[in-house]
Amino acid sequence: MNLFLQGGEVATENDAPQRADVWILDGVIKNVGVIDVPEGARVIDCAGKIVMPGMFDAHVHFREPGQEKKETILDGTEAAINGGITGVVMMPNTSPSVDSPTVVKRVLEQGEKCRIPVLTSACITVNRAGHEMAPIAGLKEAGILMLTDDGDAVPNAALLKRAMEYGKEFDMFFASHCEDPQLCGPRALNEGPVSYRLGIQGTPALAEEICMDRDIRLAHATGAMLHIQHVSSAIGMETIRWWRDERGAKVSGEVSPHHLMFADEDIGDYDTHYKMNPPLRTREDNAALLQGLKDGVFRIIATDHAPHTDFEKSQAFVDAPNGITGLDTALVSLHDRFVVTGEFGWDLIVKRYSAEPRRMMRLEVAEVSEGKPVDLIVFDPDKETTFTKEFMRSRSSNTPFLNRTLKGSVEMVVLGDEILLER
Amino acid sequence: MARKDFLDIVSLDRAEIIHLLDQAEPFKDLFTRSVKKVPALKGKTVLMLFYEPSTRTLSSFEVAAKRLSADVTIFDVPHSSVTKGESVRDTIDTLQAMRADYIVVRHRLSGQPAAIARQTNASVINAGDGAHAHPTQALLDAFTLREVYPELPGRKVVIMGDILHSRVARSTSTILDKLGVEVAFCGPGSLVPKTRFKRFTNYEEAMNWGPDAVYQLRVQKERQDAPFYPSDREYHAVYGITEERLKEISDKGIYVMHPGPINRGVELCDAVLDYDRCLIPQQVENGIATRMAVLFGLKPDLKNEPS
Repeated sequence: MNLFLQGGEVATENDAPQRADVWILDGVIKNVGVIDVPEGARVIDCAGKIVMPGMFDAHVHFREPGQEKKETILDGTEAAINGGITGVVMMPNTSPSVDSPTVVKRVLEQGEKCRIPVLTSACITVNRAGHEMAPIAGLKEAGILMLTDDGDAVPNAALLKRAMEYGKEFDMFFASHCEDPQLCGPRALNEGPVSYRLGIQGTPALAEEICMDRDIRLAHATGAMLHIQHVSSAIGMETIRWWRDERGAKVSGEVSPHHLMFADEDIGDYDTHYKMNPPLRTREDNAALLQGLKDGVFRIIATDHAPHTDFEKSQAFVDAPNGITGLDTALVSLHDRFVVTGEFGWDLIVKRYSAEPRRMMRLEVAEVSEGKPVDLIVFDPDKETTFTKEFMRSRSSNTPFLNRTLKGSVEMVVLGDEILLER
Repeated sequence: MARKDFLDIVSLDRAEIIHLLDQAEPFKDLFTRSVKKVPALKGKTVLMLFYEPSTRTLSSFEVAAKRLSADVTIFDVPHSSVTKGESVRDTIDTLQAMRADYIVVRHRLSGQPAAIARQTNASVINAGDGAHAHPTQALLDAFTLREVYPELPGRKVVIMGDILHSRVARSTSTILDKLGVEVAFCGPGSLVPKTRFKRFTNYEEAMNWGPDAVYQLRVQKERQDAPFYPSDREYHAVYGITEERLKEISDKGIYVMHPGPINRGVELCDAVLDYDRCLIPQQVENGIATRMAVLFGLKPDLKNEPS
């Protein structure tokens, strides 16, 4: 393949986008700069468009094995490509859970059939049940790097402490879904005026704050590396900041687009497209999380892509499952809500949604620079995208952006020697 | 009022509420006649879909529908395929084929009637969902209070008890507020969330606020999955209407209301039921008239096929 991306703005994690041509030949970036059109190259006019590395989402639920009606690994990766994402890390709460080398192997084999790299995390405890430690050495051998019981916290602090002590030998890092199980309401809904209005027992932000403090203390005491998943509250964010800056704890944080953009009041009249766990908090939390992202408290952005069928999501709010999809919509929504409004620039998105998640997973960082393997996308900030069911490639369409039109469009995705997407 | 559904009080404006209360008055007058029926809903079908046990609300709706000459079908949930695990959605699709014009729903889950209303063209009436709303109870409460105080604005009502788990507290406080009544909540600190209404956790302070009526809620033992107060005995002593407190209430001429069914010796002592300003019997009677007004005022959307 001989491709010439002419006159685009090349975005990096450190600077504002710079005008440059990009010449791609046989899966390698040959040159970046002001270049004459190479002979035999197909020329793509990128004037006014952003050329940047493919995104990487370190928190997705692909439901395979066990719940393929919601999503398959193949459809999930196609949704990722549709959204400009060229690598993912699956969460282990499938059925059966990813808690043994056998299931890891099965998942990775399915991943091999997809057009982008698929990684998976595995459980800390067997079947995510919080009783027995998963076979950590065996999981390591099967290629696992990240352990998490995502969906729930490990309820037993002693068990988590022992897993951290044991897992250190195998260079595992731990990722925590932080919610104190006893403070959790039975439903994913923030405790406050909205939960009162809807008549549903809520979960206070305290549940996250207390559990986060517990898990970070345990990690700090045992020397384990810890990543806090999908932080939803202002004090949760400050908890990470304090432990990292004041105590030197090896802790990183993650924020999802929906926790930056939406609040519990958006639930309106029981709209289940705003139901996820941890729940949406308040506008004040949105603002604090955004500040935390700008300040670098959050190492990565990740969607927590959580597909569910229309039937499941059309149940009453309390019965509907937790979670929304995110891969098709994430990049365009971040552009629409934050880049267009000047809250932050492309450098932040490249750093937090492409470079840092790859570093976290000990992968080579994708870059649009000379000599690097091709892993890039072209984004048109002036075009619009309407997120219809037909447009989205996920098997499910449980997103607040369903049928909404947002500014920005992923125009092209190129990985290795293959064009994965071209609109 | 061209509404299809009657799901909560929050979405009604003051004029609609007053219209419904006014509509209920001629229906109540009807009860004193020898023939208590009008042909308003002749040929229409009202389906009762009660997923939670209820005696008074179910029979109140049944009587209301029959006095409007509607045909009433009671869907027997405990003996239905619901117990075989049929989802609410599938049940509604099945019932849709029966072409009911009105579906009266009670469900333990907040928001279930709203979900059903989106799925059917029949008019859906919320007869109580979880801790969310009980709008016909609110209507009958407002109607009852308006009978003793024709000028409601400026009156004061304290709602006492388990506010946190109570759909009655939510709906009744909202309707009274919309009608200009000053509302306060009183109860154990663990059961009274912070809202825009005045909040008391001390009975005496609540009474010193000078309420015209005390609305005692039923202690919802069945809805409490964890202890919120030490014991019924302590609850009665601290927040219930005891014999001693009834005397004070009687001296001040304060009205007492309760949505029923009562827990004797917990929120009320027995003597309250003989107190001449106890409005509980009127509440029951007014329930029928106000529910008639609701059924009469709704407009099912039966031209279209279900979505």
